[in-house]
Amino acid sequence: MSLLDPLKAGILLFIAVIVQVSVLPPYSPFGGSADIVLVTLLSIALLRGSVFGAIAGFGTGLMLDTAYLGTLGFNALLLTLAGFWIGRYGETTARDRFHAPFTSVAVVTVAFAFGSIALRFVLGENAPAGPVIDGLPAAIVLNLLLTFPVYALVRRLLPPTDISDRVREVRLLG
Amino acid sequence: MPRNRTVPAVLGQSVQRAAASGYPTSRSSALKRRIVVGGLVLLSLVLITVSFRSAALDPVQGFGASVLRPFEVAAERVSRPFRDAVGWARGLVDAKSENERLRKENEELRRAVIVNESALQENVELRRALDYKSSPTIKDFRTVAAQVLASPPNQFDQRVVIAAGSNDGIARRDVVVTRDGLVGQVSKVFSNVSQVTLITDDDSAVRATVLTNPSAVGIVRHGSGSDTLIFDRVPKSKYVGRGAVIMTAGSPGGGQLPSLYPRNIEIGKVASVSPLDTETFLQIQIDPFVDFSSLQSVLVLVPKKR
Repeated sequence: MSLLDPLKAGILLFIAVIVQVSVLPPYSPFGGSADIVLVTLLSIALLRGSVFGAIAGFGTGLMLDTAYLGTLGFNALLLTLAGFWIGRYGETTARDRFHAPFTSVAVVTVAFAFGSIALRFVLGENAPAGPVIDGLPAAIVLNLLLTFPVYALVRRLLPPTDISDRVREVRLLG
Repeated sequence: MPRNRTVPAVLGQSVQRAAASGYPTSRSSALKRRIVVGGLVLLSLVLITVSFRSAALDPVQGFGASVLRPFEVAAERVSRPFRDAVGWARGLVDAKSENERLRKENEELRRAVIVNESALQENVELRRALDYKSSPTIKDFRTVAAQVLASPPNQFDQRVVIAAGSNDGIARRDVVVTRDGLVGQVSKVFSNVSQVTLITDDDSAVRATVLTNPSAVGIVRHGSGSDTLIFDRVPKSKYVGRGAVIMTAGSPGGGQLPSLYPRNIEIGKVASVSPLDTETFLQIQIDPFVDFSSLQSVLVLVPKKR
């Protein structure tokens, strides 16, 4: 991992937060809305592992909580767990799998929606599941569509670190 | 820590396999991983608790929001032409039918204006004669225009962040409108930004009445959908027709707990009325005049005498 990686990831996530907060909200086809922050975070976590993913998730969550003037720590908690979980997936079974980013985005979009409802419910806030579930299929499709360009961009800026190790391993066994 | 293994079965002698440096896999790394994620989760829970129970973190959050503000304003400005283009393209689809509808509405309004003009004159003369004192109307407020920086992040969070705060004279519970109608009220104020809770939020309730039948007073509150409102607690004896305009009722006679909203701010149009036998009140659904999903700028009503 390069020393510049945290800086690159920070800039990417900052831009994603600004776009999410100021640009995307009016567009909600079929009741669902795209979550570019989640897609960017998951792409970074997949390529850089669980610790990086968790820290990136925490920082991004705090930025979102600040931008929305919401309860501080709310998004930070959910995104920390999302970043860590997908980071672990990237470190283990997801290595070299083409479908990994798409699987991660689809699963975490659903988990994040239900996590938000559960956390709001625990905090005693209004948490109707109906509208969220109605918009969930559209949100999954939109996030999956976003995954193509976002993952490609993140992969270009933060290339996978384990490729050289894999090559060495193949030589040894052959 | 690098991982070293011997592979005697493959090569016939012990060979040191190169350690994978991409991801940490050793026991100490696992411990480090758990400590990091555990610490972050704990920190998040502490932040949630403090933020939820007190206003101790508000200055920090306000400062953070002020830092983000210029970036949000810039992003909104850059994206505005695209947003307008999308809106224009959408408008083309139903432009013809809307034109027809607006022509009819215009004719009706022209007739109504003539009737209203004479009624207004009469009203002014009668008020002067009686020295009538009324509850605050929109004329008793000055307006602060503000750009919307952040819209609701999801269906159940009906709050927006606007680019004006206490430096502009805004205070908590100030009423927020657009030229289309009522939006909500200010729920959090910082120096340069404020949070507005929309009337579609579950916690909002507005005392309202019908334009054509002021005796039908009720409460406008959040409906089942994200952008729907219901006009509740209107007795069945009152007539409310489909298409009737619902407006804020203010607080006639003042009272100990006056309504936060001044009189005569438009809220929406009655979409359906169902007088169910099993219900005590009319079941009235309202289509709000304001499109809450695409709020771009709002007006905050600041009392002239605070």
